[in-house]
Amino acid sequence: MQDFLNFLVLGLTRGSMYALIALGYTLVYGVLQLINFAHSEVFMSGAFGSYLVVNLVAGDTFLPWYGVIGVLLLGMVSGGIVGAIVAYGLERVAYRPLRRRGAPKLAFLISAIGMSFFLSQLAGKMFNRQKNNFFPEYFDANKRIIEVNGVHVTLLQVIIIGSALAMMLFLDQLVSQTKLGRSIRGVAEDAPTAALMGIDIDRTIARTFIIGGALGGAAGFLFGTAFGFFNTMGFIPGVKAFAAAVLGGIGNIRGAMLGGLLLGVVEALVPSAPWGTSQSWIGLQWTDVVAFVVLVLVLVFRPSGILGERLGRAA
Amino acid sequence: MRTRPLAKLAAIGLVGALALTGCGSSDKKSDGGLSNSGGSKSSDSYTIAFQGPLSGDNQQLGINEVNGAQLAIDQANKSGDLGFKLKLLKADDIGDQSKAPAAAAQVLQDSTVVGVIGPAFSGPTKAVAKTYGDANMGLISPSATNPDLTSQGFTTFHRVVPADNIEGVQAADWLAKKAKKVFVIDDLSEYGKGAADVVRAQLKKDNIAVVSEGVDQKTDDYGPIATQVAQSGAQAMFYGGYDAQAGKLAKALKSANFTGIAMGGNGVKSSVFEKGAGAAGDGWYFSCGCLDAVTAPGAKDFTTAYKTAFNADPSTYSPEAYDATNAMIEAIKTAKKDGSVTRESVAKAITGLDYKGITTTIKFQANGELEEASQVINLFKQAGGKISVVGDIREQN
Repeated sequence: MQDFLNFLVLGLTRGSMYALIALGYTLVYGVLQLINFAHSEVFMSGAFGSYLVVNLVAGDTFLPWYGVIGVLLLGMVSGGIVGAIVAYGLERVAYRPLRRRGAPKLAFLISAIGMSFFLSQLAGKMFNRQKNNFFPEYFDANKRIIEVNGVHVTLLQVIIIGSALAMMLFLDQLVSQTKLGRSIRGVAEDAPTAALMGIDIDRTIARTFIIGGALGGAAGFLFGTAFGFFNTMGFIPGVKAFAAAVLGGIGNIRGAMLGGLLLGVVEALVPSAPWGTSQSWIGLQWTDVVAFVVLVLVLVFRPSGILGERLGRAA
Repeated sequence: MRTRPLAKLAAIGLVGALALTGCGSSDKKSDGGLSNSGGSKSSDSYTIAFQGPLSGDNQQLGINEVNGAQLAIDQANKSGDLGFKLKLLKADDIGDQSKAPAAAAQVLQDSTVVGVIGPAFSGPTKAVAKTYGDANMGLISPSATNPDLTSQGFTTFHRVVPADNIEGVQAADWLAKKAKKVFVIDDLSEYGKGAADVVRAQLKKDNIAVVSEGVDQKTDDYGPIATQVAQSGAQAMFYGGYDAQAGKLAKALKSANFTGIAMGGNGVKSSVFEKGAGAAGDGWYFSCGCLDAVTAPGAKDFTTAYKTAFNADPSTYSPEAYDATNAMIEAIKTAKKDGSVTRESVAKAITGLDYKGITTTIKFQANGELEEASQVINLFKQAGGKISVVGDIREQN
C-alpha cells in the first residue's frame, strides 16, 4: 500500500504540472477553437525566464525558509510574466493577423507549429542546447515533509502540488466570478453575440492568452526546478498536456485540471504496477503508450472528454 | 500560360542551387579544404577527419574528443619533422545514427581526407562504417564501444578502447562482490542497452538476482524508476546510458532515498554528469576502458598542453582521441615512407601499427580490436563533485 501511495505522489506531482499547462491549451481553445501548439514553448520560455531571475538572487546555498518562499514566489511570478509576454506576443504576431484576414483554421495550425519551432530554436541559440540545465539549489528539495509508514512526500513535491492547486483555484475563481471571466465565457459561448453585448473580442482573446501563458510560464518554473530545463523541454509535456486537455474535455477548465492530474497519476501508477515488488508487469518504457491508450479508451466512450467540451458551461 | 509556372520553378530551382553551392563553398572555406583542387599533387597536405557529436545532447563527449584530436594535429604540425601538413575536418553527426550518413558524406567528398578519427558513438558507427569501408577509409574510433562493431565485417574499423562486453563483464564481476541483487536500467539506446545487457548476462552468470527496466532517454521524470529501485531491495543499481540522463537519475535516486551502490558505464563518466548530478552524484561508481588524464602519470605533458590550448581539463576520451589521432598520423607517416599517401595505403598502415600512446599500446588485432593486453578497464568514483580514478577494476574489492 505504501508503495502504491509513493507512486501516487509522484503522479500527482507530474499531473499538477500537466494540468497547469493544459489550462493554456483549453483556455485558448475555448475562445478561439484553436489548438495553440506553440503553448509548449510558452512553458519553456517561462523556465528560462525564471531561471535568469532566480539565478540572480539565489545561489547553491540553502536559504532560510522565508528566503526560499521569496525565491519561489519570485520564480513563479517571473516565469508567469515571461510566459504571459510570450503568449501575448504569439497572439499578436502569429494569430491576430491571420484572424483579421479571415484565414482558414489550417493556417493557424501551421503558424502555431512554426512559432513553436522558432521559439525552441531561439532559446537553443540564446542559451544552449544541453539537456541538463538546473536551477540553483537554494533549498533542500529532497527534505521529507511527510513520512508515515514508508510513504514520503518531499518538500519539492509539496511545493509543486500546492502552488499548482493554488493557481488552479485562482483561475477557477477568476473565470467564474470576475468580469473578465464573464467576458471570456461570453466569447467562448458565442463570440458575435458577446461583441453585440459590448465585449471587446480582441482584448478578451489577448487576455485569455496572457492568463494561459502566465500559468504555463509558472509551470515552466516548477518543472524546471524539479526536472531541469532545456530548449526542447516543451515538446513532451506539451503533447501530454494537450492530451490531458482533450481527456478532460478541451475547452473545459475543470476538465483540463482533472485530465492533467489523471494523466499524471495514470503514467506513474500503471507502468510501475504491481507496486512494491521490484519488477513491474508492464515496464516503464511503456509509460507513453499507457498514457495514450488511456486517452484513446476515454475518447472511445466519451468522445468529448470526461467533463464535456464547453468552456462557458462548465466553469 | 503554361511557361510561367515553369519559369518560376526554374527560378526557384536556380536560387536553391545557388544557395546550396553557397553553403558548400563556405563550408570548404571554413575547413580550408583543398577538395576543389581535385587530384593535384602539389599539396603535401592531408586531412584527418573527426566524426562525432559536436552539437546536441551528447556534444560534450564529442568536444572532449575533437579537442584531443586537434591537439595531436597541432603538435605534429609544429614538430617540423612531418614532411607534410595536416588538417582537421570536423564532421558533426550529433551522435545520432540518422545524422551519421550526412556527416560521412561530408568526409568522403573531401578528397584530401585520408583517415577518420571516429565515429565517436556506436549507433553512428553501425550506420556508416560500411560506407567508409567501401571507400577504403581507415577508421580509428576513440570511443565507440558496442561489442558488435568488430564482428560485422567492417573492413576498416578500429578502436582504441575495449568493447562494452569486456567492460560490462568486469563491471558486473565487481558488482557481484558487492551485492546480492542488482537493478539494471538501460536507456533503450544502441550503446546503453548493449552495455546493460552485458552486465545483466554476467550478473546472472555470477548468480546475482537481476531486475531489469528500460527508460527512454527522452524521459524527464526519473521519479518513478528511482522509486522502483529504492523499493526493490536491490543493493546496487547499474545504469547503461549517457551522462545527462544519468545526472537526472542520480538526483531522483537521492530523492527516493536509495542508499545502495550506483554505477554507470563509460557513457556516464563525464563532466556533464558531475555538473548535472551535483552532490547527488557523490558515491557513484563508473567503469570505463579509459584513462584519467588528470591523474595518470604518463599523461602529464598531454594534460598541460590540453589545458593551455583549450582552457579546460581534458575529460572523458580526450586522451583516447589524442592517441587515436597520433596513431593515425603514425600511419600516414608510414604510408608516406612506403610510397604514396592514399586512403588505401593509410588504411593498410593502420593494421600494421604498433604505437605506444599515453593511454595504452595501439596494436590492432585483425578484427579491429586492440590486443587483449592493452584492454584495461578502470574503476572510477565521484567524490566531492569530481570523478577520479580508483584503479584497475579487476584489482578492486
